[in-house]
Amino acid sequence: MSKLSISTRMILVLTLITVLSGGILAGWDMFTKPRIEFHRLEALKTAIGEVLPAHDQYESRETESGTLYIGTNTGSDQPVGIAFMAVGSGFQGELRIMVGLTPDLTQLTGIKVLEQIETPGLGTKIVVDPSNKQDPFWFPAQFKGIHVAPEIIALKNAKPSTNNEVQGITGATISSKAVTRILNEQIANVKAAWTTKGGPES
Amino acid sequence: MSTQLSLKAEFVKGLWRENPVLASLLGLCPTLAVTNAAMNGLAMGLATTFVLLMSSLMISALRNFIPYQVRIAGYIVIIATFVTVADRFLAAFLPEISATLGPYIPLIVVNCLILGRQEAFSSRNGIGRSLLDSLGMGLGFIFVLVALGIIRETLGSGSIFGVTVLGDWFTPWMVMILPPGAFLTLGILIALANWYNDSSSTTPRSTDKKAIS
Amino acid sequence: MNYFLIFFSAAIVNNFVLSYFLGICPFVGVSKRVSSAVSMGMAVTFVMLITSVVTWLIYHLILVPFEVEILEYVSFILVIASLVQLVEMFIRKVSKPLYDTLGIYLPLITTNCAILGLALFSVLREYSFMESVVFGLGAGVGFTLALVIMAGIREELELAPVPKYFQGAGITMIVAGGLALAFMGFAGMI
Repeated sequence: MSKLSISTRMILVLTLITVLSGGILAGWDMFTKPRIEFHRLEALKTAIGEVLPAHDQYESRETESGTLYIGTNTGSDQPVGIAFMAVGSGFQGELRIMVGLTPDLTQLTGIKVLEQIETPGLGTKIVVDPSNKQDPFWFPAQFKGIHVAPEIIALKNAKPSTNNEVQGITGATISSKAVTRILNEQIANVKAAWTTKGGPES
Repeated sequence: MSTQLSLKAEFVKGLWRENPVLASLLGLCPTLAVTNAAMNGLAMGLATTFVLLMSSLMISALRNFIPYQVRIAGYIVIIATFVTVADRFLAAFLPEISATLGPYIPLIVVNCLILGRQEAFSSRNGIGRSLLDSLGMGLGFIFVLVALGIIRETLGSGSIFGVTVLGDWFTPWMVMILPPGAFLTLGILIALANWYNDSSSTTPRSTDKKAIS
Repeated sequence: MNYFLIFFSAAIVNNFVLSYFLGICPFVGVSKRVSSAVSMGMAVTFVMLITSVVTWLIYHLILVPFEVEILEYVSFILVIASLVQLVEMFIRKVSKPLYDTLGIYLPLITTNCAILGLALFSVLREYSFMESVVFGLGAGVGFTLALVIMAGIREELELAPVPKYFQGAGITMIVAGGLALAFMGFAGMI
């Protein structure tokens, strides 16, 4: 080893280390990849399951406005609902919301905020509200059955009176309105993509 | 190494006297970023210790083969390899922790604590001694992360390791689990450590001198 | 997301130093003088810009097509380390005064978590090429901003009677806590 010139040694040793590193990682990748993929699909399935009515399978369909997940039951080709991932900015950063819609895209069947970095104790109530012991999920739960036309509205300090309104969170108006804004924008996109694709029957 | 410490001293020094966070101010990014709950601090501490141990093992074993000029490049490849191993392990077997810690696990690569120990210790000492040093430093790191996590979680969420300890009467101090709480708690912890060392030991030290990299 | 939003978010609302805790080491180490803070900030911004370009290209043109995303961390850190070296050599050749101002800070940048953090966040958020570049610029400006404000406060602090045990790192952390609180006021602007 010491007979070699220093630059040859440098190249040799670095190559050796890199090859070793590549080898370890290639093996580790083969070992962990299936499990990581499994967890990813499992998380997706759980999220879709939470926002759509009971179904036993779903198919993914790529459209201009992202992937749509269409839930169906075996033995029936009537979809129970259509889910998609809505992404947009909230109070502090990006929100990722799984949204469930009825097959005719007129009502919500549920929403679930999957990722957010809102203010703990205020904006995080869009996911869960620990201060409401009876009903910690009151905010996301309101969206079930809400009509999307003409648009979904989050009210400040008032009870909803029509079927397109939900009650906003006190102290987190921006977070509440961010959710409805993202929903309104992206449901419109999904509607457009859905009609160009030939409608629900395609 | 001119003065050889006893093996026990090699291990113990990282726990308090040369604690990576409180004494040397190394690895502050993860220390502040993931300690909003005790469990996150523990997971981060364990992952870091794993990378530290494995890198020290490799680097002390290879210390006579790596040419001086390319040592840093060699070290970071080795460290990044084990960080990837740890990251994928968490993603495959503990997906929830992996999602919570997010990009802070890959950021272990640039944790000054790890590269610092390789440069200052493992590249000059045998395998056994390097492992003991890394274990001590790793445990010292875990200790600070969990301590910070417990303080911030108790005051910020009223719980420890997810178990509620303060009842309904307690209004959580939200700021503790937000970024400012991290800085304030660590600042107070460093001051407490200074005070403790000053009042109990005969070797007072100044923390600021070592604020490097 | 539009470019302004990405820039503003990286520089102010989700400041790398004060809300993501990236680049804390230089934040504590090189924030005693405003002049050195400015130089360090410029060096970091420069390296961030190049990093965001190069790591984007590596990830999208090499790692993804060959399905070797597992090499992400190894390749990113190697590229950053080599880039910093190259930039250092380049500046030394091109401009002596610039080298004298930035030179000593460049080696420190390799282990600056903000640089690797930038590359990782870009991948995680699936930014397009232009978005990554804007993100890199915003992050650099945010880093410089935090560093310079901190240095300004620390210059004044030297004249203040800081309690004995808080001197040095302790008070720096407390001040950073105050700054982080102040920066939280920007939330909601994006």
